[in-house]
Amino acid sequence: MSGHKNISLMERKKLRSKMIKKHNLANILTHWFNVAMWLMLLPTGIAVISSPRLGLAPVWWQELFRNLFGSTANLIKFHYTLGLLWIFVLSFNILLGFRKYFVPFAATRMLLDTDDIDWLKVKPLQMLGLFKDKELPPQDAYNAGQKLYSYVVILGTLGIMSSGIVMTFKTVFPPVLKQIAQPLHWMSVGAIVAGLIIHVYMGAVFPEEKEAFFSMFSGKVSAWYARAHHEKWYWQKVKEEMEWEDQVERELADNLAEESESVASRDDGRVSTAAAD
Amino acid sequence: MASKKRYGFVIDVSRCIDCRACLVSCSVENSVPMNHTRIWVKDLGVQGEFPNLEHTFVPYNCMHCENPPCVEVCVSGATYKDPNNGLVLVDQEACIGCGFCVEACPYDARYLDESRGVVDKCTGCIQRVEAGQEPACVATCVGGSRMFGDLNDPESEVSKALKNAKTIQRLDYEKDGLDTDPNIYYIHGDVLESGLAPRDPRYTVAETGWKKVLAPAIFAGIGASFLVQGTYFTKQLIEGEKEFDE
Repeated sequence: MSGHKNISLMERKKLRSKMIKKHNLANILTHWFNVAMWLMLLPTGIAVISSPRLGLAPVWWQELFRNLFGSTANLIKFHYTLGLLWIFVLSFNILLGFRKYFVPFAATRMLLDTDDIDWLKVKPLQMLGLFKDKELPPQDAYNAGQKLYSYVVILGTLGIMSSGIVMTFKTVFPPVLKQIAQPLHWMSVGAIVAGLIIHVYMGAVFPEEKEAFFSMFSGKVSAWYARAHHEKWYWQKVKEEMEWEDQVERELADNLAEESESVASRDDGRVSTAAAD
Repeated sequence: MASKKRYGFVIDVSRCIDCRACLVSCSVENSVPMNHTRIWVKDLGVQGEFPNLEHTFVPYNCMHCENPPCVEVCVSGATYKDPNNGLVLVDQEACIGCGFCVEACPYDARYLDESRGVVDKCTGCIQRVEAGQEPACVATCVGGSRMFGDLNDPESEVSKALKNAKTIQRLDYEKDGLDTDPNIYYIHGDVLESGLAPRDPRYTVAETGWKKVLAPAIFAGIGASFLVQGTYFTKQLIEGEKEFDE
């Protein structure tokens, strides 16, 4: 985040009031759909796992949800019905927006570069209170931690979906697959949840990242936030804006030239008729 | 609690002639698939010296253990020990047929019903018992070898049979802190033969790996993440928030 602390007050005020688009509506809606599904699937899923030998969920939690739904079978049916809906909507959205949203997103926002590697080396140490004065390398639209977590989420989601399907369609798959599916399902959820704790805290509670939270509704962040937290992406946006300005100016100049040309030719005509008179 | 029911079987080994009528009536009553049964009869063969020969047949099914290893491993709680009657039952709507319990049962008293994708076993014909009838296997037993009832009720047929029995044996599994404490009592015959000895519960690689490796690893990850989050949150609470944060 080199240098953003030396920006003048006037410039800061200007940057604060200027908004840049970060998320499109498709991503925002899919994100909040995903949130709603997780809020329902995670508590019921934890309640299902009641094996005393594994001992993974508190007994009162298991009993609370079994009583809420009436029986173990109802709880499981709720869980997998919602899960199938989740799979359907997410797959549908990704397939529908594959070329328009998914490919550009994966190509421009997920790949790690050398700055990201440096960030990953410095940031954990800073979190431990070391090298406080060392500057963090500039970051893209998503920082290296977010990028890394996105792989966990994508792999985990695929793991949850595939193992969930195996367990739901129990007459189709052989017992050995159903045996492996259960720890795979749990492990995938666990890996995502480990990051989710940080994700939710950073997104919704941590003061410096407050803009990120509101951007998940409006789709926009201020130029100041972008400059301070996602510098590379900010300059990319500035470049795009300048290119757009150039293009508009070129177009305007072209239009002007065309117009004056046609005016000139009209004038020429008038002159010639006047001469004929 | 003494007032609670504890259903179990008492089997008079001396009266079993291996007719297997119990297998048939059980399968008919419970729509058991043709390639499976819920009851088995073990032939211990001819024993003794001529002319004092003995031929022992040992019928067995789910022992409805007090400490069932199958319930311990069931991930969803589809297999449970009914607290009201002590029977070990399977909620087949909740069961996905993964077979963890089939591996764990020391008596091999469970089977996988491949066509329905669930595990099936003896239910003590609870549908008949609740209607005041005996289980199908007991009702059909021509030799009067099989008896069923509440072992906690001193007036029940099973309790009386046990009281008057000359010998009582159980196929108990007791090892490594696990005591199954089965609820089938064999009377009037020696069933403690090697061919009938309960095996060690088997725990699948998926289940053991989950318990021993995955669970600690994932919980460590979640714990570390929670710690980081908690530290930052505490710092935030102590330091307060500014109107314009950067």
